[in-house]
Amino acid sequence: MPRIHRRKLLQLSGAGAIAARTGGMAAILATSRAPAIAQTATVHWLRWNDFVPASDVYLKQQVIPAAEKALGIKLNIETINGNDLQARTTSAIQSGSGPDVICGLNNWPQLYAESVADVEDVVNEIGKAQGGFYDESKAVANNGKKWLGVPWCVLGAQIVYRKSWLAEAGATKFPETWDEYRALGKKLKAAGRPVGQTLGHTFGDAPTFTYPLMWSYGGKEVEADGKTVVINSKGTVDSVKFMTAFWKEAHDEGGLAWDDTNNNRAFLAGTISSTLNGASIYLLAKSKPETYLDEKGKPMHLDMAHSPLPKGPAGQYGYHLPMTNMLMGYSKNQKAAKDFLRWMTSKDVYQGWFNSQGGYSVGATTIWEKDPLWDKDPVMLPFRAAARAGRFPGYAGPAGRQAAEGLSKYLVTDMYAKAVQGMPAEESVKWAEGEFRAIYRA
Amino acid sequence: MAVTSYPVSEAYAGGPRRGAFTRLLEDERWLALVLLLPTTLLLAIFIAYPFEKGIELSVTDSKVGVPGVFVGLSNFVALMDDSIFRTAVWNTFYYTIVTTIFKLALGLWLALLLNRHFRGKAVTRAFVLLPFIIPTVLSTFAWKWMFDPTFSVINWTLFRVGLIHGRINWLSDPDLAMVSVIIVNIWRGVPFYAISLLAGLQTINPELQEAAAIDGARPWQRFWHVTWPLLLPVTMVVVLFSIIQTFADFQLVYVLTSGGPANSTQLFATYAYQIGVGTGLLSQGAAISLAMFPILLIVVIVQLLYIRRVETH
Amino acid sequence: MIEGARWRRWVYFYIPLAVFVFVLLFPFYWMMVTTVRPDNELYRPWMAPNYTPFWTLHPTLEHIKFLLGETLFSTWMLNTLLISIAATIISLFCGLLAGYALSRLKFPFAGGLGTGIFITYLVPQTLLFIPLADIIRSFKLGDTPWALILTYPTFLIPFCTWLLMGYFKAIPKELEECARIDGATRWRAMIYIIFPIAVPGILSAGIFAFTLSWNEFIYALVFLSSPAEKTVPVGVTSELIRGDVFFWGPLMAGALLGSIPVAMIYSFFVEYYVAGLTGSVKG
Repeated sequence: MPRIHRRKLLQLSGAGAIAARTGGMAAILATSRAPAIAQTATVHWLRWNDFVPASDVYLKQQVIPAAEKALGIKLNIETINGNDLQARTTSAIQSGSGPDVICGLNNWPQLYAESVADVEDVVNEIGKAQGGFYDESKAVANNGKKWLGVPWCVLGAQIVYRKSWLAEAGATKFPETWDEYRALGKKLKAAGRPVGQTLGHTFGDAPTFTYPLMWSYGGKEVEADGKTVVINSKGTVDSVKFMTAFWKEAHDEGGLAWDDTNNNRAFLAGTISSTLNGASIYLLAKSKPETYLDEKGKPMHLDMAHSPLPKGPAGQYGYHLPMTNMLMGYSKNQKAAKDFLRWMTSKDVYQGWFNSQGGYSVGATTIWEKDPLWDKDPVMLPFRAAARAGRFPGYAGPAGRQAAEGLSKYLVTDMYAKAVQGMPAEESVKWAEGEFRAIYRA
Repeated sequence: MAVTSYPVSEAYAGGPRRGAFTRLLEDERWLALVLLLPTTLLLAIFIAYPFEKGIELSVTDSKVGVPGVFVGLSNFVALMDDSIFRTAVWNTFYYTIVTTIFKLALGLWLALLLNRHFRGKAVTRAFVLLPFIIPTVLSTFAWKWMFDPTFSVINWTLFRVGLIHGRINWLSDPDLAMVSVIIVNIWRGVPFYAISLLAGLQTINPELQEAAAIDGARPWQRFWHVTWPLLLPVTMVVVLFSIIQTFADFQLVYVLTSGGPANSTQLFATYAYQIGVGTGLLSQGAAISLAMFPILLIVVIVQLLYIRRVETH
Repeated sequence: MIEGARWRRWVYFYIPLAVFVFVLLFPFYWMMVTTVRPDNELYRPWMAPNYTPFWTLHPTLEHIKFLLGETLFSTWMLNTLLISIAATIISLFCGLLAGYALSRLKFPFAGGLGTGIFITYLVPQTLLFIPLADIIRSFKLGDTPWALILTYPTFLIPFCTWLLMGYFKAIPKELEECARIDGATRWRAMIYIIFPIAVPGILSAGIFAFTLSWNEFIYALVFLSSPAEKTVPVGVTSELIRGDVFFWGPLMAGALLGSIPVAMIYSFFVEYYVAGLTGSVKG
């Protein structure tokens, strides 16, 4: 019975199926020959473990059956630890088998340019229908020669902080400049409520902090020509010196070993007062108000607010984590996977996922700024237009392969980490310069 | 007839008829060939050939999905300049040497303790090997949880006992991270040393010890002059195995620190993995792994020569 | 020998032994406690009051249920079991034959081959896995258990060979020669006379090989990708470390349950395991 069921489904969902419906089934049985599509295609989609668990649940419970109904494919969604995505992608490419679609973070797709399939038609379709992609999304998903994947979303990163604690330390609103933040942080740490930030080897919270910090002091890794390494500049050195002092005076010094989850746990356990993160801390506290209470016993989410990173002498910047769905070249289900991508990123289908994220990510296209979701919770408002202001690693050059290498080697983050552990600022910057030179030379 | 001569072939006269193949196998050399064939085949396909391919990789500039071109030794030259690589080399040596010394000392001590007779000896001996049995990854996770910056049970205990006032950042302070990794490695390795050395101890004739005692030797002297020399061969083999394993260690550091705060616990294997598989720079990763091999070879040769010298003593 | 007063016995023997046993076993106890501790107790910071880390008054099975229900843990266990058994059988087969040849037969290059097998043990896995990935791909074994079943013997065979060589060396040559005079071929003498005597060695080698297979991580990490194909170490590492949701409970449950098969086999065959360890060291 199941076989006939499936054939019937395929017959119905195939193009021009309506006309065939009447004669299809009987015709097959009469000629006892299988229709052109003999089995359902499987599409294996690899993603990170979403920091909003509700979205993973949504994908597995709603999207999988919907995909089967709409496209006739069996969708297999796999989620792994974000830090392992790169290794997984490399081994899949090398062994010639693995997931059909991989959702790559940051500008990692640039590293796999030779191993992904062309998706230009899908990209153009989506872009036209949804108001165009953000610059940041385009920069990471396109290497100037071809589209490396279909941009999926952008994770906004903002500072989440405890309003009451900042008020007790004398701040009625979040500090506007780095120096103000440092002074405030000093008071907070003295009261046992330090600032929390990771400087570890992690793909999310560390680069989204260190790169904008460097940019806000005028530092950058290369010139616009994409070749001249200029990271060793006064601006960068100043930012490193600032960070060293800021760290000692205001930070939880365990942050050197944190990954992307430690700051979440620390904040929700009440051991830090502010941290740069996606909206996951707030959203989790809001979804379980009885579990996450502050020291007075009230739901913690009522005491939280968001703010962009402070201004530095050269401006105010942010790096918001983009994600791109790559269609892998080794995949044997190219057509099915492409259809899936087109369907998944289309407005109606994406809407459901977007809602489940609750504002944690914005879509990669601009129409999502107008979504009614943003009107629901003012605390989430700073995230709405976050992607517009973003710069990306590789600035001022393109977000290409070399920038991706620099990012994967955690060079900028390590530059700050080394200084914080005692290396003189000039030395750590020089070290980073040497490493970047080696990358951009190749 | 006084003597009947039985030529050798007659001994087989009553036996079953033998085919050509069976007769072939009578020859030691052919039998050896057949017996060694499966092993040789497997090792040739899955070690020798990839090893040679790995060497090839390290002299090209391949990246993931991009077969590279021959570049000679430039990967290795670049490694000399790479400060992270130098850190990894230093870390690996430090890690191996420190853990081996401690594992030997503590393992020996435990072996001496277990060598005595007491109630529950067999059970204790069995339990003591557990850290070595349980998959490294799983037990390392338990340690990672014990070292957690916010929820560490070790910190809690030390705090309650009054030994510390602030928090110990086991995994976030670069020096402490190395200490933590070393602690877990020692924890895992001591049982292996202990049980192996125990077996060695049990082959030593107790009468030798007694004779020395009668002669008036103190316990420490007895150990140093009687037990230790006899234990040396076993010790050397254990140390050899352990050094090979520890030098190429991957799982422990990968799970606990992934190379540690700013590369302070980065080892050869973890760095090779991060560069080769993580960033997709396959050739550079291969070069890092290959750099491990000659050092291992030298260490092993030195130890083997030493063992041979001890054995011929 | 600790002569003299009782207190000396305590200081030099019982206390150090107790400390050793405690330190060696505490992490397992911790695993067990965390597995049954409910979430709200798990995540209290270490300085919070009323913190009772060493025991819990509200044990719960929710982590184990989550592990078995929401993840593919049972599949991973099955995979690891099958792979370990298959790899052990292959390695034992090869090791048995090779060990016999190297220890009891005379032929040219015997020493060289023995050393060669030893050298393969030195080749680091991090060097091999990328070329191996290519080979696996050409044989179309990617993402199947066979990728591991065929590659694990590369480090298991040297071990089994040495171990069994040690056992074989201890068997007197006369046994074989008697058999041959009685009319047996070398082959039959080997299989029917020598191998049965070496059964303890075979058991030891087998158990040791099984444990090593269960413990392997890096090849499994690189060659397997689908969640349904993973082994326990890889599955626990990659699927239970999630984003911001607190998963230490299931992680420890996974660590605990994942260790049980090995611990059980070990507990039934302790003698053989120890003999295997010491045999390989002495041999």
